[in-house]
Amino acid sequence: MYKSFVSIKKELLLLVNDKTGLALMFVMPLLLVLIITVIQDSAFKVVNENKISMLVVNKDEGAEGATLVELLAASGMFDLRLEEDCSFADFQESVASGKTLTGLYLREDFSSRFGEHAAGLSAMIMGEAGFSETLAVVESEAPSVYFMNDPVLQDNYVLSVVNMLNTHLNVMEVSRMLESLYAELGFEELPASVKEALGNNRIQIERVLPKNQRLIPNSTQHNVPAWTIFAMFFMVISLGSNLVLEKATGSFLRLKSMPSSFWWVMLSKQLVFMGVGILQVVFVFGVAMLLFPFLKLPPLILPNNVPGILAVVLVSVFSAVSYALMLGALSRTQEQSNGFGAISIIIFAAIGGVWVPTFVMPEYMKLLSMVSPLNWSLEAFYALFLRGGAWTELWLPLGILLVFSFICQLITFMHLHRNRLI
Amino acid sequence: MQTLISIEGLTKRYPKSDEFSLKGVSLSIRQGERFGIFGPNGAGKTTLISILCQILTATEGRVRYFIKDREVSFSDIKQHIGFVPQDLALYEGLTAFQNVEYFGALFNLSAKRIRERAAHLFDLLGLSQVANKPVKTFSGGMKRRLNLIVGVMHEPGVLFLDEPTVGVDIQSRTAILDFLNALNREGTSIVYTSHHLDEAERFCDRIAVIDRGQIIALDEIGPLLRQHAAADLTQLLIKLTGKEFRDHV
Repeated sequence: MYKSFVSIKKELLLLVNDKTGLALMFVMPLLLVLIITVIQDSAFKVVNENKISMLVVNKDEGAEGATLVELLAASGMFDLRLEEDCSFADFQESVASGKTLTGLYLREDFSSRFGEHAAGLSAMIMGEAGFSETLAVVESEAPSVYFMNDPVLQDNYVLSVVNMLNTHLNVMEVSRMLESLYAELGFEELPASVKEALGNNRIQIERVLPKNQRLIPNSTQHNVPAWTIFAMFFMVISLGSNLVLEKATGSFLRLKSMPSSFWWVMLSKQLVFMGVGILQVVFVFGVAMLLFPFLKLPPLILPNNVPGILAVVLVSVFSAVSYALMLGALSRTQEQSNGFGAISIIIFAAIGGVWVPTFVMPEYMKLLSMVSPLNWSLEAFYALFLRGGAWTELWLPLGILLVFSFICQLITFMHLHRNRLI
Repeated sequence: MQTLISIEGLTKRYPKSDEFSLKGVSLSIRQGERFGIFGPNGAGKTTLISILCQILTATEGRVRYFIKDREVSFSDIKQHIGFVPQDLALYEGLTAFQNVEYFGALFNLSAKRIRERAAHLFDLLGLSQVANKPVKTFSGGMKRRLNLIVGVMHEPGVLFLDEPTVGVDIQSRTAILDFLNALNREGTSIVYTSHHLDEAERFCDRIAVIDRGQIIALDEIGPLLRQHAAADLTQLLIKLTGKEFRDHV
């Protein structure tokens, strides 16, 4: 018992002396989580949220503008913000500054010009059909609607929004044209059956969702675990160096001449760094839970599956510790361990979806991401946050991480043994 | 004197090496003696000590230990041996006391015993004032003395020292040798290698000269010098091993 206590104490003291390692393991993830979450929040909102924000300035003096706004609201595609006392310059400024992703400005004469256009079209139809004595038709200018979007929106996304607007305008136009046509024919108003048919009798499209539709995390759900995992694996700088130093100074050789097992040393190292990894999670997650609401970032909400959370955290930390030990065992110098360790973690993070989530990567990169332990750890956290931590979703990433850890531990043992260090 | 270590036909060849580091080494080390192993670089001294301390395993041959006339199994001997490696196997970020506490615990000593032994040994080797200072602030001589303390914390019956005085000043070297002599008087057997032959000549009761993995001379120093008409140990080693460089790349 005393031997375990002293071994753990020694590892803790060595860790406390390693100021650079501590900064990399605790300060770096905190800064990264805060900065990257704030930066990526609007981008995640575009990808993630069903409704796109739209500033609507309706200056129309007639009823058509209000009808268009009603149709847009009913579409469910937009989060409308209605402004009446807003000049065209303010409208432009609001969208350009990114306060809203899209904007729609309806001019004062929107209804009157809309009506003129519809009347002109119906007169043209009546003339062409020989129902009117006068064939000459007054050309009417199409109604002007100003649409503006934030440049962060992709072109194809903008195009779909514009198409949606056109669809609503077309429906309104057909309706007004028919009203004019019926008026030309002497009816006071459009028959109710025709009105109903115009509204309902369109070809219905039924959307079929894929069975395993991927759920998309928000910026908090992605960045908080992603950068915590990144920092966990960055313990390679501290733990890897620690192991290299023990080899280089001959401490391992001295240990071989002692009656205590090599496993005491390795176990105490692993226990201490497992504790460090758990502390990293508590620290970064805690800050995210407490601080993010004040920064108007999506809150971090943990799932109810507490054993699931513990399993994901423990297995992730264990894989990071195992990887660090392996690199420490394979490296001859601290420079090798630090250099290769840092570069390998950055590459693993890049392909593993820490910086840019894998769901926006091309297919071949998604395949490549499977070699990164950081990807599987992140997948396990996604399963926690997006699917409530169902075990059916957790077993695969956790299983792969355990296999990865086992391989790292085996390589560590075999390498140290082959080099007669244990 | 009773036999402490009996070595029979010890052979060592490292993996992927064509050469033998040790070739059929046989000798006995006696209880309570100060035994020196000398030879040029690469002769096999460190390999021999490493096998005796169970850091390496022999390719062939047998090593038997006897404590108080009873043979002790090779697996049980670790509690009875102390090893002071040539490298400073210390944690520079820890204090002197934290180092001896850690290694003492790995020798299964209690916290109380570690405190007592540490106080006694720090006092003997002049480290009491710096016991709670980080090792990284120590001079080379202080580190060597601490390296020695770690090796004797558990009061071993036999102490193996691989170049214990390399790179230290005369004060530290004298303190180390005085300490080793005191240990020996209390009954600790000492097996020792060094390139300081003047120091070895005064310190050792008996020596073995080893070259290219083989024992080429084994006796007390006086008879050996007379046998080979050598004035001192330096001359003896030159006569026995030649002037050819033995550096390995």
